[in-house]
Amino acid sequence: MEINEQLIRAITNAVVEQLKINNAQPGTAVPSTMQGQSGTDSLAGKTRMRPKRSYDGAVKAVQGTDPKEVVIGVGAAFQTEINATICGIPLDEVLRNVQAGIEEEGMVSCVVKVLDTSDVAFMALQAAKLSGSGIGIGIQSKGTTVIHQKDLYPLTNLELFPQAPLMDLETYRKIGRNAARYVKGEKVTPIECTNDPMVRAKFQVKAALMHIIETEQLDPEKGMIIWEGAK
Amino acid sequence: MKLIAGVDIGNSTTEVCIGGVEENGAFRFLSSASRMTTGTKGTLPNVLGIKAALLEAMDKIRQPLSALDLVRLNEAAPVIGDTAMETITETIITESSMIGHNPSTPAGAGEAVGELISLDNIWKGKPGVPYIVAVSNRFSYEEAAARLNQHMPDLDVRGLILQSDEAVLVENRLSRKIPIVDEVRHISKVPEGKQAAIEVALPGTSIRMLSNPYGIATLLKLNADETKAVTPIAKSLVGKRSAVVIRTPHGNIRENVLPAGEITFRGDRDLTVNIDAGADGIMDTLKSAGEIRDIDGQPDTNVGNMLTRIKTSMADVAKAHDSEIRITDILAVDTLAPVEISGALAGETCMEKAVGIAAMVRTQHLPMQKIAEKLEQELKVKAVVAGVEAVMASLGALTTPGTRLPLAILDMGGGSTDAAVLEADGQVCTTHQAGAGELVSMLIQTELGLHSRVTAEQIKKYPMGKVESLFHMRLENGSMEFFQESIDPRYYGHVVLLAPGEMLKVEEDIPMERILEVRRDAKRKVFVRNALRALETVAPDHDLRKIPNVVLVGGSAEDFEIPEMLMEALSEYRIVCGRGNIRGTEGPRNAVATGLLMSYLA
Repeated sequence: MEINEQLIRAITNAVVEQLKINNAQPGTAVPSTMQGQSGTDSLAGKTRMRPKRSYDGAVKAVQGTDPKEVVIGVGAAFQTEINATICGIPLDEVLRNVQAGIEEEGMVSCVVKVLDTSDVAFMALQAAKLSGSGIGIGIQSKGTTVIHQKDLYPLTNLELFPQAPLMDLETYRKIGRNAARYVKGEKVTPIECTNDPMVRAKFQVKAALMHIIETEQLDPEKGMIIWEGAK
Repeated sequence: MKLIAGVDIGNSTTEVCIGGVEENGAFRFLSSASRMTTGTKGTLPNVLGIKAALLEAMDKIRQPLSALDLVRLNEAAPVIGDTAMETITETIITESSMIGHNPSTPAGAGEAVGELISLDNIWKGKPGVPYIVAVSNRFSYEEAAARLNQHMPDLDVRGLILQSDEAVLVENRLSRKIPIVDEVRHISKVPEGKQAAIEVALPGTSIRMLSNPYGIATLLKLNADETKAVTPIAKSLVGKRSAVVIRTPHGNIRENVLPAGEITFRGDRDLTVNIDAGADGIMDTLKSAGEIRDIDGQPDTNVGNMLTRIKTSMADVAKAHDSEIRITDILAVDTLAPVEISGALAGETCMEKAVGIAAMVRTQHLPMQKIAEKLEQELKVKAVVAGVEAVMASLGALTTPGTRLPLAILDMGGGSTDAAVLEADGQVCTTHQAGAGELVSMLIQTELGLHSRVTAEQIKKYPMGKVESLFHMRLENGSMEFFQESIDPRYYGHVVLLAPGEMLKVEEDIPMERILEVRRDAKRKVFVRNALRALETVAPDHDLRKIPNVVLVGGSAEDFEIPEMLMEALSEYRIVCGRGNIRGTEGPRNAVATGLLMSYLA
């Protein structure tokens, strides 16, 4: 098909016309179930996506000393504003599997919520710096995960799992296992991941929205707090 | 000034050397270069590699190729090496009688005996009977632990066998500590209702009861005859971290000897030996057969097919008839290859006996003249075939500082180990023996169970280290090396090979000590044995002590440990032996090419 200026103009006109019709009949344009997720209209006049959660009274995480420890740093909206990853895996399950992977290797895990930053590389690095072993895992609420070591530069991590929509619980279990093996100084086999070049296009909007929700909840004054799940 | 090039085509590299002759007859070496041999040694595709090497060498002295006046090729010895490997035993488990493997994280420690029952049927269990419970991966660790905790007060559960890798997770949730074996892939094959013994060793140790026939007898209450029958089970469990032995009426493990076939040597005497005799038996027979004319394998056996294959491929190369191709030497080496046991429940492997064989093929004549003609056409430079390889190598080796006649050279290449003795009166005695660098690579590959030959080659060539943290590495000699910048995390915890300028990681999970042992062992088995064999053949009166000095040349002489090994082995004969240094600059390479130039002057 040939795409030229006229064609684009024709399409634009058609879309504008359709929009005019929709405006004439408000309420029928978008199905009600969609409003909560994509609903730009419900945000009209708002400056936030979710109300700010208060972390008053939370216990600040302290520097770990246990050489067997792996610190898991979760995102600011983890298990509170967001309860499932970008592909719908419940975050409780995600965390449970990462911890199980660590436990099976005989190491111990400790979960903190990172309120300084929502960048997964920095989250993981901060967790690693807190960890007694120097190994940390960062998990964003949308599921993106990084294994980090305290002496590395933020963007040169041990392992990065960038395509959150393609991950399953088995992968999260293995992430925990691998992190524990880094602690033990054993040979670590990189986790096999599926790769899909279309994932980015498919999930870009959802990822951006989830990231905004997470970033909104940041509270840099609190830093990192002990996290035992939402009460 | 006349420019002359010497060209040596080897099994794996093509080497050239360029020299200039002044009007007054004075001679100087100007440059040299080395390239991969293109195609099989002695065939027309070699021309490409020769041209590339000549170009490189001429570039170094800033001259065009056309400035050459003469190219001298060596009369390559018409011998080409090939290698093959045959396993001669196989292990079979019948009736699922044992599980013995090294899961990374079993749990608990100690041994236990009980009747096998699956977790699905645990409600059928009777109080007072000791049980060992098999758990399939349908149960998560939480479900499994909850169910077991529920039944633990009434039932006597002594041990657990898990399908998934969750032993520690289950153990941490159980009310009582029991030995747990995990990662048993085919758990559905575990027979219910049979008596079984289970053992898990403490970290860093291996099992003791189940790797001992009397231990099994004690646990499973066996009589003397039954104990004799379980001996192979005990033997195959030696060194494992965890194991299960199941008492089945006919269950056992068996070692089969495969019909590997016979080798016939046709020499001064015709002798036949079975491959089962092992490497020493084969080599002894070879020696007593005297001068070998040809070697054959029994038709339609593994070894027969192997030798036929070598001959056929050589016949294609030399464009000769099959009957004109003869195998004149073989080197057999005993080795062990890890092979998955048939009938295993957890993917156990067993080290099976195998024999690696390198064969040396002699053809009537390699078409060197054709290569010379082709080269002459393409370069418009006169090319001649001159000199026998071994003589030229001796001449070249003589340029090593500190040598004198009579001189012995040991040319250790990829395919063959050649030896020659150059007497003071100019007489030369030569031999070509099968087995060199390629056989070493093959042994390393099979014994370590590596997937790729390339990794084996690299293990052979470079020293190792283990990356213990992101900032330090332990080298194979035990010393530590620290780094300012972090090592790439991909290398973390891996054994890496220290190639010049880069690190190559070994993907397989094999301890560094084991790789070191296999590497040294393979080199010793091939090179030390072959060096002694070859030197004995060429030595005056076959007496090694009559050789005053041995110069090591060829690709494998560049190795970082082979020359030392040979030096050690030959020192008891009071032979001066060391890596050659051709013209005092080239190291052990370029001996033949240098010899070709020197022979032009003579």
